[in-house]
Amino acid sequence: MSQEVMLPQGWEARWDAQSNAYVYVEQSTGRSQWEVPTQPSYGSSHPSTSPAPTPAAAPSQGQSHRPGRRQYPTAQIQQVYGGGGYDTQPQQSLAAPGYPDQNASQQPQYFTPGLGGADAHQPSHGQQPAASPYGGAAPAQSQQPGYGQQQSAYGSQQQQQQPVDQMSNQFQQMNMGYQGGAGAGAGMSGQKQLHQIQTVNLIGMQPDVTGLDTPPPPYLLPPNASVTASPHIQPDPSYQRCTLTSMPTTQSLLNKSKLPLALVMAPYRSFRESDGEDPVPVIEDSVIARCRRCRAYINPFVTFIEGGNRWKCCMCGLSNEVPQLFDWNQVENKPADRWARKELNHSVVEFIAPTEYMVRPPQPPVYAFVIDVSQQAVQSGMVAVAARTILESLDNIPNADSRTKVAIIAVSTSLHFFSLPAGATEASMLVVSDLSDVFLPKPVDLLVNLTESRPALESLLGRLSDMFQDSHVVGNALGSALQAAHQLIGKIGGKIIALTATLPTLGEGALKARDDPKLLGTSKESSLLNAASSFYKTFAIECSKQQVAVDMFLFSTSYTDVATLSCLPRYTAGQTYLYPGFNASRSEDAIKFATEFGKVLAMPIGLEAVIRVRATRGIRMSAFHGNFFIRSTDLLALPVVPTDQNYVIELQLEDDIKGSFVVLQTAILHTTCYGERRIRVITQAMPTTDSIPELYASADQVAIATYLTNKAVERSMSHSLDDARNTVTNKLGEMLGVYKNQVTSSSGASAQLAVPENLKLLPLLCCGLVKHVGLREGSSIPPDLRSYAQALLTTLPCQSLVPFIHPRFYSLHNMSPEAGNIGDAGIVLPQALNLTSERLERHGLFLIEDGQNIFIWVGHEAVPRLIQDVFDLPSYGELQGGKYTLPVLDNPFSQRVNNIVAKTRELRRGVYRPHVYVVKSDAEPALRSWALSLLIEDRMDHMSSYAQYLTTVKNKVNGS
Amino acid sequence: MGGEGWLFLFAVLMAAVLLFTMVFFIIMFSDLECDYINPIDLCNKLNQFVLPEMIAHAFLTLCFLLSGQWLAFLLNAPLVGYNVNKIMAKNHMYDATEIFRTLSGHKKESFIKLGFYLVSFFYYLYRMILALISESD
Repeated sequence: MSQEVMLPQGWEARWDAQSNAYVYVEQSTGRSQWEVPTQPSYGSSHPSTSPAPTPAAAPSQGQSHRPGRRQYPTAQIQQVYGGGGYDTQPQQSLAAPGYPDQNASQQPQYFTPGLGGADAHQPSHGQQPAASPYGGAAPAQSQQPGYGQQQSAYGSQQQQQQPVDQMSNQFQQMNMGYQGGAGAGAGMSGQKQLHQIQTVNLIGMQPDVTGLDTPPPPYLLPPNASVTASPHIQPDPSYQRCTLTSMPTTQSLLNKSKLPLALVMAPYRSFRESDGEDPVPVIEDSVIARCRRCRAYINPFVTFIEGGNRWKCCMCGLSNEVPQLFDWNQVENKPADRWARKELNHSVVEFIAPTEYMVRPPQPPVYAFVIDVSQQAVQSGMVAVAARTILESLDNIPNADSRTKVAIIAVSTSLHFFSLPAGATEASMLVVSDLSDVFLPKPVDLLVNLTESRPALESLLGRLSDMFQDSHVVGNALGSALQAAHQLIGKIGGKIIALTATLPTLGEGALKARDDPKLLGTSKESSLLNAASSFYKTFAIECSKQQVAVDMFLFSTSYTDVATLSCLPRYTAGQTYLYPGFNASRSEDAIKFATEFGKVLAMPIGLEAVIRVRATRGIRMSAFHGNFFIRSTDLLALPVVPTDQNYVIELQLEDDIKGSFVVLQTAILHTTCYGERRIRVITQAMPTTDSIPELYASADQVAIATYLTNKAVERSMSHSLDDARNTVTNKLGEMLGVYKNQVTSSSGASAQLAVPENLKLLPLLCCGLVKHVGLREGSSIPPDLRSYAQALLTTLPCQSLVPFIHPRFYSLHNMSPEAGNIGDAGIVLPQALNLTSERLERHGLFLIEDGQNIFIWVGHEAVPRLIQDVFDLPSYGELQGGKYTLPVLDNPFSQRVNNIVAKTRELRRGVYRPHVYVVKSDAEPALRSWALSLLIEDRMDHMSSYAQYLTTVKNKVNGS
Repeated sequence: MGGEGWLFLFAVLMAAVLLFTMVFFIIMFSDLECDYINPIDLCNKLNQFVLPEMIAHAFLTLCFLLSGQWLAFLLNAPLVGYNVNKIMAKNHMYDATEIFRTLSGHKKESFIKLGFYLVSFFYYLYRMILALISESD
């Protein structure tokens, strides 16, 4: 163990042969002293293994003798602190009255037994001098300007002030050392922050639905865990969150607590400036510091040792060299401030990767459209809308460097290729009717550069629908068309976008309508949720190998076997979109599809990506859920990374965890759609704990609900839907049972259901989940809708998943006056109500939305004035239920309702544009019961109400 | 050497072959765990051997049935039934997309089969020797 790290940064110990003692040299000024320039508590251990103790070096020789590389930290410090070097450290403590607090609170940590051996002491100590000066410069500190001024003044008066400083410095350190020594035992309990545990009793209470938006419990990291005091050292929960915000130290503790341990992440989520979100900071200089052993990327939780020349990996503890250019600004060619580096200040960063990270030069984005042009597809208007949307989106398709390539294949009973030579204004069609052995009719001009072949492409898209207008071909050779598209773009990789309105009936991958209504509601139903043909799985593997992703747009009027077709997106990291009963003559359908399709086309996708999660030694990734192909035990392959897709990764503890905190790091290596290889790194640190109450207090209900959702969907496919629902309820019962016995320590049966405050909505979410279309009991749900709901359940990020499970419910007729108008943060939404039909009033107007659909519920006693104001119709009787476009009328109420609908549509990230359905409370039973099925606190058919569900859970808890 | 002797000699050889197949499967699975092979190659490789293994085993069982070796037949019948059931359910092939989720199950199955073939190997050997001794008497 090198002792040099005990010195504040900028100091060096040298052996003085004459006096037979160490002399301490401040590298920046050359000032020397005999006393150890650090806390006395550490000074007692003499530096014995200081590197390169040059016997002849006199204290005054200063920095001139040192090799250049070692000067970087010094140089950089001088740059920032006006030549004051690390003298600013004590100065800062004196100058800022707020700071002794911080130091005092840090101090006991060095003596915390919980920190483990010297290994744990060392990093926190080594970084402390480094961290504090930065802490002063952190934006949150109000003294900062004052500090800066004092500092520059200090820089000029350095010589005079030094003795004073030094003395006060030592005095302060002695004081601190004393505190630390005394606090060795007592400091432990005082220092370690704990979550507050509050028990809430659920039975007989209305759940507080507004609590669904509350952030997860905070990560109570030990002070000094990070080298910088930046507020961004933990990722936003929308990027990555964990089911527990503190990590259990052993697997047996985790097993005993029954809590799930999983990461829930949407690493490639989009950002919207309108929501005040910042883009991911990009590190431009391609200096990528990684651990030699575990390959972790440098992050805010590493520690710098040996005067900042080396860094110690926070995951495996290996000491690594800091890259030479780490403190160098390559743009301006001058020393840079290390503590301002983005990777040390942000948990989510993007590195621009050098060529070592490339298997081949960055590929261009490639889009191959496979469009079904059978009679049904043309008649539904799908072809026309799709062609028009592609035409309109040609400018939005990522094509920053004019390299994007496009191909279009139309498919019915034969394959129609389009030759689009560069510069030509007309496209020519080539028909291949051999479906068994697919070949490309032409080696060139089928996959063309978007910019060069734009005129031909535009003319083709303009008349695509008309070309097939008169075709009466029934049948769809989708499988063969996909194979052709794969041949076409396989060499480069990219995205196949398949649009189909009929079940593939010909060629490879032909499917049968297997939706036997007799199976619904039985245990055999899960076979309908599994793939019918192995073609789509094997083809997906082929695609994944060649970096091809498939997006499926399905427009069904009848059964299209979503379960089988969605296999392709699932294993190639694509996405499935379903438009049941699509008919473009209804403008709502056309607008919804065109909007969503347009957004998918304009999506800034990442290409040829792999995701790997690294974690502190002892933590293992045990299972993965989401749309990707698992290429090895811990490597996820995504040919194309769509934005806003969710992945869940289960964790296991292989070894006991020793440190006071653990670090989880997700790295996603991808090529951006403008030809840059990048690595997005998301680092998250979590404190460790060995107590079950603390684990419960740190549980994140939304993340747990997401985890349970994925588990339940997996279970429904491998076993049965019944099993899947039981998994959710049993898991919830187990958790609450442990909580009751271990935390509230009440034994025996209880009439109450005790849950921790931070999990109080988990039972509601679980209740919503078992009643969700994807898992619900019943024999009336078409397998297509179920499969699609399951596809959404496993891919939606938390932000959209929560309303999908637990819809939002607003009362519009009596909303507060500010609702629907523009407030400080955009349009104000009304107060969300509990999802129970008790809230429905016969004269009222209500809105229920789950992110995919919006239902406007109109009570049958609604006054004509209300109907007039909102729908521009004379009375309730005139109103037609169903898909609806609300008119924008010249009255404040109509505008407010329209505002709320508009706000709801853009509330969440993602491409979805919900339909508006008008539901009349006394007509159209199917639509009515669909809307009512979203009110999950109610009893429906033979599904229990929320109160009954709680009783079931309570019985499980009492039984255990 | 009479018919029984030949039959069990053949059975011993078959059991040895099946034994080696299982060892190969297990080695491949641990290779996958150690990341020496990717799941696609693994499945392509192993799937070549799945059906031959099952057919070889079924053929051996059939031989026992036809030659009236009831005990040996009953010993093997459950495994044949299990294999047939798997083929009927169409999940006898290894699926590269699911392999990591089902790996522990596959490994367990391979180990059990390995043990079974080992036991039957010694049983056949014993029966072969018995047959040879009874002949020489």
